[in-house]
Amino acid sequence: MSTANQTTAQMAERVLDQVMSAGATGDLIVDEGETLSLKARDGELEEYKVSSSRIFGLRVIKDGHIGTAYSEAVDADALGSMVGQALNNASFGKVESHENILPNSDHLQTDDELLCPPEQVSIEQKIELALEIESKLTAKDKVKNVPYNGVQDITSQRQIFSSAGLNALTRSRMCAAYAYALAEDGEKNAMQGTSQVTRLFSGLNAASVIDKTYEKCIGLLDGKPVPSKHYDVIFDPDCQVSAFGVFAMMFSGKAAKDGINPMRDKIGSTITDSRLSIYDHPLNADGFGYHLFDAEGTATKKSELVVEGCLQTLIHNSATASYFDSETSGHASRGPRSTLGVKLHQVEIAKGSEDLSTLHSGEYLELTDLTGLHSGANAISGNFSFGASGYLCKDGERIQAVRGITVAGNFYEMLNKISMIGNQQHWNEGRSALMPSIRFSDVAISG
Amino acid sequence: MLNNQTAESVIDHALSLGADFAELFVEKNETNVVSTLSDEVQSVESGINFGIGLRLVYGTKVLYGYTNKTDRDELLRIASVLAAKDLRDPVSTLKSFNFSHISDIHPASKILSVDAEIESKVAYLVASDRAARAAGEQISQTRGSCMQREQHVEIFNSEGLHTNDRRNYIRSSLTAIAADGNEQATGSWNDGGLLGWEIAADLDPQRTGEEAARQALVNLTAKPCPSGRMPVIIGNGFGGVIFHEACGHLLETTSVAKKASVFHDQMGEMIASSIVSAVDDGTMANEWGSINIDDEGMPTQRTQLIKDGQLTNFLVDRIGAQQTGFARSGSGRRESYRYAPASRMRNTFIEPGDARMDDMIASIDKGIYASHMGGGSVQPGTGEFNFAVTEGYYIEDGKIQYPVKAATLISTGPKVLKEISMIGQDFSLACGMCGSISGAVPTTVGQATLKVDDILVGGNA
Repeated sequence: MSTANQTTAQMAERVLDQVMSAGATGDLIVDEGETLSLKARDGELEEYKVSSSRIFGLRVIKDGHIGTAYSEAVDADALGSMVGQALNNASFGKVESHENILPNSDHLQTDDELLCPPEQVSIEQKIELALEIESKLTAKDKVKNVPYNGVQDITSQRQIFSSAGLNALTRSRMCAAYAYALAEDGEKNAMQGTSQVTRLFSGLNAASVIDKTYEKCIGLLDGKPVPSKHYDVIFDPDCQVSAFGVFAMMFSGKAAKDGINPMRDKIGSTITDSRLSIYDHPLNADGFGYHLFDAEGTATKKSELVVEGCLQTLIHNSATASYFDSETSGHASRGPRSTLGVKLHQVEIAKGSEDLSTLHSGEYLELTDLTGLHSGANAISGNFSFGASGYLCKDGERIQAVRGITVAGNFYEMLNKISMIGNQQHWNEGRSALMPSIRFSDVAISG
Repeated sequence: MLNNQTAESVIDHALSLGADFAELFVEKNETNVVSTLSDEVQSVESGINFGIGLRLVYGTKVLYGYTNKTDRDELLRIASVLAAKDLRDPVSTLKSFNFSHISDIHPASKILSVDAEIESKVAYLVASDRAARAAGEQISQTRGSCMQREQHVEIFNSEGLHTNDRRNYIRSSLTAIAADGNEQATGSWNDGGLLGWEIAADLDPQRTGEEAARQALVNLTAKPCPSGRMPVIIGNGFGGVIFHEACGHLLETTSVAKKASVFHDQMGEMIASSIVSAVDDGTMANEWGSINIDDEGMPTQRTQLIKDGQLTNFLVDRIGAQQTGFARSGSGRRESYRYAPASRMRNTFIEPGDARMDDMIASIDKGIYASHMGGGSVQPGTGEFNFAVTEGYYIEDGKIQYPVKAATLISTGPKVLKEISMIGQDFSLACGMCGSISGAVPTTVGQATLKVDDILVGGNA
């Protein structure tokens, strides 16, 4: 039977009928997307990319065995083959008594007005923005070129269907602009960049991307190492979110089940400075980590992870929750190509009490760029060693640009060496997490 | 995978819209991944990726689109959308397709479409787990995986090219975790190639398990690493990742044409120590980074990048050739139909020298022996890099003293090339995935153990 004129829901129904006919249960994720991507070079459009994609990802459970398979081809043969592969794959797995298709027959849909607002924007306006960012940055003093830049408009949609009757739909839009400029001054050079994301194209601000990128480039052009010793360190919002992201496994119920989460036995214990409270807040629609439901269709809610230094809970899907005799926290993650896992949606750290002048008192290093984030970190032990750039500061003044240094230590120990927490929260550039600035003390810097 | 008539009408249509060049890249790939956690199967995942990428070139401007659909109307629609802002009278005409059979220089036998051989892979991973656990009581867990992929590509272009290729990839890895109280450390082993499961004949589960366990156990006892500027000996095999990331990427015309590489105007100049010669070679039989043809349909080749310290070639794709004037080197690669091709590395390595390991260590008063490297990152415009050491040792008074942990190497590509003072004889290759502008592609890195006289070592001692 041809699938050419069938809707996604009809194809999903057909797939799940085949799963149930084989005596199994299952759920199906269908991800679809449309992307426009523009890049500029020397005042001209260098790349213009359009795409449309669709992928089906199936999970089946038969006699307690789990199997997954996916297909980008959506004709009846390909989808039938996907079902066969998933069932075959299941036959090799051990019995996973804790993993089941949830008895959830909800029909859920996110608010298009909120996440995918309509907007009339011409392609010319998008091209103009890409050209403006590249040409105005290139024209600035000491900027040699802007080798990496672009404007994107991405609409993505996810549908989840299950043999229990779940039918969940979310659709969202993200417009982005980014630029990485190379600045040169004699023998010295620096390459830095910024990005911006919004729901509406009209929300993108070329001047902001240009000015921030230029400021970062020029600021670090004279950068040099500082003497090796222990410093107080404040990460900028992006670096701080990245650092927390690298060690996010500390909250993973799946990693705990697998025996590799060092916090597995520390629920109820103090694991950080008592002034630190960490939440996951998927329902804050100002961020791009907004999720109304997780990959199993479970409704999400704000979760307390750490309150005043005490670990409250790990994050769970229904399988890890069952293993620990607990409830799912609405943190199931699964892509069409992957198995069931857990994932934080949108981390939020509660603001502290220190105003900017107190936070910035005395000498400290402000780190604005970290490199080697994943290769230089061990989330199991907490040890890390990153390349870094930024500024040596005194009483809020940047007194020296700093490059060619490393910052090293143990992240889990660092959470107990917090000197101050700022009283204002900031989004990172990707608007995926909301945190105040944290001043860490006694951090090893090599220069 | 796409009939000639559809390809012809789409390319014809693109040229009628004024494109200088048009290309269709059709891809279908099947993947199977077996994962184990200790001695049990964690998951078996499989799937099919399928899609078509359409590239139109106007001058040096690239317009790219892709879709999962194969019907002619959808492809014509994408061509029209792409060309909408560049419409002009036709400047090129389609030359009739001339199918060229490629010679398969990387044959494979036990391929995925015949049999995924899941039982055999599970048996190998479980035996590796047992070997790892037997190496020490502190080995608490292992994670294993076997990934096999069969990729079919078909390429048509407006110059009359029509060719296809089948690529069989296999890669296996094992990570061992050692635990002692609250301390945990990891060690890993991996191998792969452009071939099928016949690689199993060369895989020894005992050696796999023992090596992953050995590294984890060494790291469990490692002390904080001293920091500062010092000489560093970088181990063979995956140690070549530094050359790959910090120098190789700067030799791709993707960076060179944009003048985003410090080497963009240094062809023929001495950019490295005179003992350094480096190569990027797609022809090495069944190596992980090898190819028969690149993703623009050009047969692969061996490209000498640096000879005795002198820059001799860049890695050049079609657009790079147009932009820089250098001849194509069969280096146009992409992860999948979702990406336009770009100049990328294949099997990239520093050629071996004649130094002895003992002499390298004896030449160092205070320094580091980074026997195994992990991943890292590089800033393409400046060549600044940062790499993690996954197994390292502190050297003092010409002798290895103790293992160190959480060490990072920081420098710039151009500086390191000039600071290489000794290159050993123990040449080997190691496989990895390289992420860049056209996605993640299989690449091999390699070198013999070598000594760099001055690198900033980041540590927390």
